[in-house]
Amino acid sequence: MTKEEAPGATEEEQQAQSKKGLKKQQKEAEKAAKKAEKQAKLAADQQSTEEEDFAKDRYGVSAMVQSQQKLDRVLVRVQDLIPEKADQLIWLRARVHTSRAKGKQCFLVLRQQQFNLQALVAVGDRASKQMVKFAANITKESIVDVEAFVRTVEQKIESCSQQDVELHIERIFVISQAEPRLPLQLEDAVRPDGDGEEEGRATVNQDTKLDNRVIDLRTTTSQAIFRLQSGVCQLFRDTLTEKGFVEIQTPKIISAASEGGANVFTVSYFKTSAYLAQSPQLYKQMCICGDFEKVFCVGPVFRAEDSNTHRHLTEFVGLDIEMAFSYHYHEVIDSITDTMVRIFKGLRDNFQTEIQTVNKQFPSEPFKFLEPTLRLEYTEAVAMLHEAGVEMGDEEDLSTPNEKLLGRLVKEKYDTDFYVLDKYPLAVRPFYTMPDPNNPKYSNSYDMFMRGEEILSGAQRVHDAQLLTDRANHHQIDLEKIKAYIDSFRYGAPPHGGGGIGLERVCMLYLGLHNIRQTSMFPRDPKRLTP
Amino acid sequence: MPMYQVKPVSGSHVKTDLPTCMYAVPNVHALQNGEVEPAVKALEARQDEIMRKLYELKAAVEGLAKTVTTPDADLDLTVSSSSSLSSQSPTSTTFRGTTDLDALLGKVTILKLDLGALRDIVINANPAQPPLTLLVLHSVLCQRYRVLSTVHVHSSASSVPPQLLSCLGPRHPDSYARQMFQLGFTLIWKDVPKLQMKFSVQNMCPVEGEANVARFLFKLLSPYPSDPAVATLVDSWVDTAFFQLAEGSSKERATVLRALNAALGRNPWLAGPEFSLADIACYCCVLQSASASSAPTNVQRWIKACENLGHFGPAKLYLK
Repeated sequence: MTKEEAPGATEEEQQAQSKKGLKKQQKEAEKAAKKAEKQAKLAADQQSTEEEDFAKDRYGVSAMVQSQQKLDRVLVRVQDLIPEKADQLIWLRARVHTSRAKGKQCFLVLRQQQFNLQALVAVGDRASKQMVKFAANITKESIVDVEAFVRTVEQKIESCSQQDVELHIERIFVISQAEPRLPLQLEDAVRPDGDGEEEGRATVNQDTKLDNRVIDLRTTTSQAIFRLQSGVCQLFRDTLTEKGFVEIQTPKIISAASEGGANVFTVSYFKTSAYLAQSPQLYKQMCICGDFEKVFCVGPVFRAEDSNTHRHLTEFVGLDIEMAFSYHYHEVIDSITDTMVRIFKGLRDNFQTEIQTVNKQFPSEPFKFLEPTLRLEYTEAVAMLHEAGVEMGDEEDLSTPNEKLLGRLVKEKYDTDFYVLDKYPLAVRPFYTMPDPNNPKYSNSYDMFMRGEEILSGAQRVHDAQLLTDRANHHQIDLEKIKAYIDSFRYGAPPHGGGGIGLERVCMLYLGLHNIRQTSMFPRDPKRLTP
Repeated sequence: MPMYQVKPVSGSHVKTDLPTCMYAVPNVHALQNGEVEPAVKALEARQDEIMRKLYELKAAVEGLAKTVTTPDADLDLTVSSSSSLSSQSPTSTTFRGTTDLDALLGKVTILKLDLGALRDIVINANPAQPPLTLLVLHSVLCQRYRVLSTVHVHSSASSVPPQLLSCLGPRHPDSYARQMFQLGFTLIWKDVPKLQMKFSVQNMCPVEGEANVARFLFKLLSPYPSDPAVATLVDSWVDTAFFQLAEGSSKERATVLRALNAALGRNPWLAGPEFSLADIACYCCVLQSASASSAPTNVQRWIKACENLGHFGPAKLYLK
């Protein structure tokens, strides 16, 4: 660069520089200004939040309850919150069913088992904006402790079980937080199947429910079903105990398969193998021979049937009865049917709320029965089926569709969902069934049906060792395997009979449900082993 | 009178023997000397014998058919109706008729397999209105056939008084073997608006109303009178009993009692000289409406006559 050119250039450069510089400076100034603004704003906000959070100690996530202290606090149940308790200050622990913020208020629905009610946090002199924001952000299904005033409402809250009151929250603490993404939504799980398709709202299919059973069990329907099931078991025990029965516990690990070898689970038993009991049959009978006269037992039954149907499980709860009788096996039938009728009456009288809750999601007809229970003979049933156009031999067993058709025919004629079918043909019953004394084609055995599906199979048992041996030979069963069984009848055995029902199946049919997995808490079938 | 009379051409009537056989052919089976083989003769004789027996049987069956089942359609109604009401002879036994339940109830099974299964009559009644007529008919049925009677309470009925549970009498000692009975009578106390009966669900619709069920049960015991006029009279009394006596106002009841009085003045029983369903129905309804004591003289006499027959034991027992 020449000296003459440099000043020109520098002038230009200077000019350019000054232009660029100006621009740069301007930009920097703008940036700085914006930054300053932001900072000022933040500062202001922070100041304001810090300033205004006067309610900081009235909400928050509690420390994990590790039994740090024993509080003498009384927690009230949601179902007890009625208008009479208005204006009381109470503590309660419940789950957050939903939370919804609306401006300066947050509406929460708090749920305990089948009961729920509305709770409200509003910005005011007791609650700050931050508190409302916190409440709105509590994840669904979290467990919270709430201190609140009970207030009556002018308009009924239709969507809650406690319709006349709501809570105005003073303090709210999260005891156990739930993860934000739930595998299934409770409202979807309770929605009846038809509705979902019409309105485009989702329903949850059974596999998802079973995989996430812990959440599914919280729904009102599940709570109702299992409370009813508990009722069935309770009524069974109470009724039989009142009749003089003794409850026994039978072993489930046995050395030989009791009814036909194909459907048993094998377990390794030290150096040999053993089987899981298919039914407590053998041991019930041994108890009778042991002079207990009337026994019942409640316990698991294991059937290794590879049936993937709506009514089979590999493990279920069996309620089994066995009793000695004086002269005729109908004494046993009368006892069993009387027990069943007492169970139905108990459910009808004491569990109506549960039945109605289940009907909301799974509508069905109420269960009808006759007292004393209707007893038809097998020949009558075959005649009814013939009349309806079904072709079957009179010594043939009833197939499942025939059983269902028969159930419908009996319902039409007698208007009952529960009946007993007596005098089955001998050919289709197990070897220990007592044959009919007058007609060798038939046996002293019976089945009981609910809504057209079989729930109980029973009979008078052969109590004579010789006859038992003959029958076993006739059925070509290896006598060595059942030697212990036959031996139990060699030292004087009273005539006896009995039968067993499946708890899950009885519940399913009483409520009119269609799949046994709905009435089994953690069902086991050929395809499912967890949870 | 004929117009033209012509004298007969030929003299007297000549008897002409018209041949029955057009062409006579010599017997193929005949032996050389023209005689028929004795074996063939014997065969012919046997055949004639069989045909004779068949004709006899046919005549017998036709005769039986006429006496057993419903009257022939071509019976002259005018002749019978005028004579029946006055000339029917009173009989001592009130219930006769066939014991063939199959014919009366129709075959329950359509296919050839008749397993001898129990035919069950199911009656659903409201415990608030117990059907006395049916209880009476049930006791008569029990005398005629082997009836298995059971009483059930439906889950819809809230509380049933104990006398209703034992209204069909004590349990039959053989009731554990249903096959041994000809007829089943199942009474279910249920919360129904109107009494109904179900028998053969595939072939019959349910029969509603105590009157109609009573008619059905009565026909199992003896057929309705063959004379249609008498049958109609019986029917009309049955309807009167159930609609006006049992359910009507006190004015209607009084009218019916007067009508009863008038009818019973002419005949010993309501439908003529024979005891019939009309008497059963009216007696039960009179008893149920508790107007027996205030009834006119003929009616009182008739009530005593009914009681003497002995069929009404269960009804009186229930009302006590």
